[in-house]
Amino acid sequence: MREAIKMKRTFMNFSQYVSMAAVVLLGLALLPVPAAQALTCSVTPENIPITLTYHGAQLSITGQSASSDDLIVTITSEPADTALKYKEKVGGVVWMKKGTIEFKDTPHIYMLYSTDELSRILSVEERNQNLLGYEALRAHTRIEDSGGNPADAKWFDEYLKFKKEEKVYDIQEGRVVRQHGVKGNTYQVDVAWPYQAPPGVYTIEVIAARDGKVVDRSSTNFEVKSVGITKFLSKMAFDQAGLYGIMAVVIALFAGLAVGAIFKKGGGSH
Amino acid sequence: MYLPIALTSVNYLVVMGLGLGVGLLSGLFGVGGGFLMTPLLMMIGIPPTIAAATDANQIVAASASGTFSHWRLGNVDFKMGFYLLIGGFVGGAGGVQVIKILRATGGADFMIKMTYVIMLGLVGSFMFVESLHAMRKTKKAAATTDQPSSPKKKKGGFFAALPMQVYFEKSGVTHSALVPLVLGTFVGVLAAIMGVGGGFLMVPVMIYMLRMPMHVVVGTSLFQILFTCIEVTYLQAYSNHTVDFMLALLLLVGSVFGAQIGTVLGKKLHGEQLKILLSIIVLAVTVKIVLELVMEPSILLSYAGGH
Repeated sequence: MREAIKMKRTFMNFSQYVSMAAVVLLGLALLPVPAAQALTCSVTPENIPITLTYHGAQLSITGQSASSDDLIVTITSEPADTALKYKEKVGGVVWMKKGTIEFKDTPHIYMLYSTDELSRILSVEERNQNLLGYEALRAHTRIEDSGGNPADAKWFDEYLKFKKEEKVYDIQEGRVVRQHGVKGNTYQVDVAWPYQAPPGVYTIEVIAARDGKVVDRSSTNFEVKSVGITKFLSKMAFDQAGLYGIMAVVIALFAGLAVGAIFKKGGGSH
Repeated sequence: MYLPIALTSVNYLVVMGLGLGVGLLSGLFGVGGGFLMTPLLMMIGIPPTIAAATDANQIVAASASGTFSHWRLGNVDFKMGFYLLIGGFVGGAGGVQVIKILRATGGADFMIKMTYVIMLGLVGSFMFVESLHAMRKTKKAAATTDQPSSPKKKKGGFFAALPMQVYFEKSGVTHSALVPLVLGTFVGVLAAIMGVGGGFLMVPVMIYMLRMPMHVVVGTSLFQILFTCIEVTYLQAYSNHTVDFMLALLLLVGSVFGAQIGTVLGKKLHGEQLKILLSIIVLAVTVKIVLELVMEPSILLSYAGGH
């Protein structure tokens, strides 16, 4: 009898434990996914100085993210209007610059890197809404001729070609590398920053995506800035244009005459 | 090397090499070389407006260097140069107005490009045929006498009948002062319309219409180009901010030496040989422009400016 009571108690204890554990587990399951790995984003270097020997830079973009999320890293400049000359066939034979086409509200610089193919990470709507990928840019950009009328959509393809040639538009899917280590889940992407990109402040944004939707985002900035002689000359060319012009002429004249004189002395025979 | 105005980075050895090559042509033929340099700079990624303006700055150095050496060799006809220069300034200013009118009527670019190609083609072929002819003649003549390579013919009756006849000692020719003035204006107008310095037009004009000896033509042309490019450099820097001083510096390091080598080389060549070489270059440029016009460009968009 005692044995039976003991067993019953043990069983009750056990079932209490189970139900308590179940409650705890249920509670855990109902809690949102722990925000242990908030999305972060940082870049080194944060300042890129343009010196006389500047030939682009190496950017390293790193941060933490939840391990299951796909990531998209973009580097962009502020949207602006770009006017470009376009060529067309004239008289059926010759290619000539015919006029100007304006690409409105589109960034000068657009670079995108991701952990996977964009089409697998996000739905079309999400891509369009967040300006991710060339197709989203195409849908967003307004193309107008010099009269302000909408121009043929084919010019966007030419615009892409032009920008890619300049190395300021670039998409590389699968370039973002993840690591799972003691520091948690980190990601990294190394970017060769093109020297063709003008001085300015650029924005890096990292977007986390799950089930085709954007779930988190984080951003940071970096600045590309002229320093030293480069800064001095570009400032002078605009602020003291007259003096700059005279300096350019005088130095050229002097260099030409000096070399002329040196050659005369050195040459001797003629 | 980073260029502060062009906002791009270039290999300085390539740029200095370009300067050397074009400077050599400048010293040899008395042309500024803008018609070669501007497209070459655009090929290495310099925006067209900056390429054209900076090239003018570089030509200041190359033509100063070239003029100096030609002056020491006694090859600069200052008197003729001044008359042409005055004409060139007037023509240049007039040409800018002509462009404005043409642009307003529309379709001007087509006309300009066509004029350019036709002028280049005509000048090139004419010089080529003429100097080939003259070279054959001098070969025959050389057997008997030691004649100068460019035979001076009598001027036509019309030129001689004009008032204000002036003797140009250096060139050994007599012309009415009106002739270089008018020709200078004519070249100035064309140069302004076509957006080039006009050296390749001025040189043939001096050879065939003013009947100046080839060596004096080169020195005098450089003298005239020097002043034109000083004016262009200053105006471009002042109003358009398109002169990249670092780029000009790299180019001129090459071109001043190139101009010296060109001058020395030019002394060793006969006038006819110089003419035929120049005509070949002019023809090659013509062919290149024609091909560019006819073939579909790989990219249909570009920044504004340039030719």
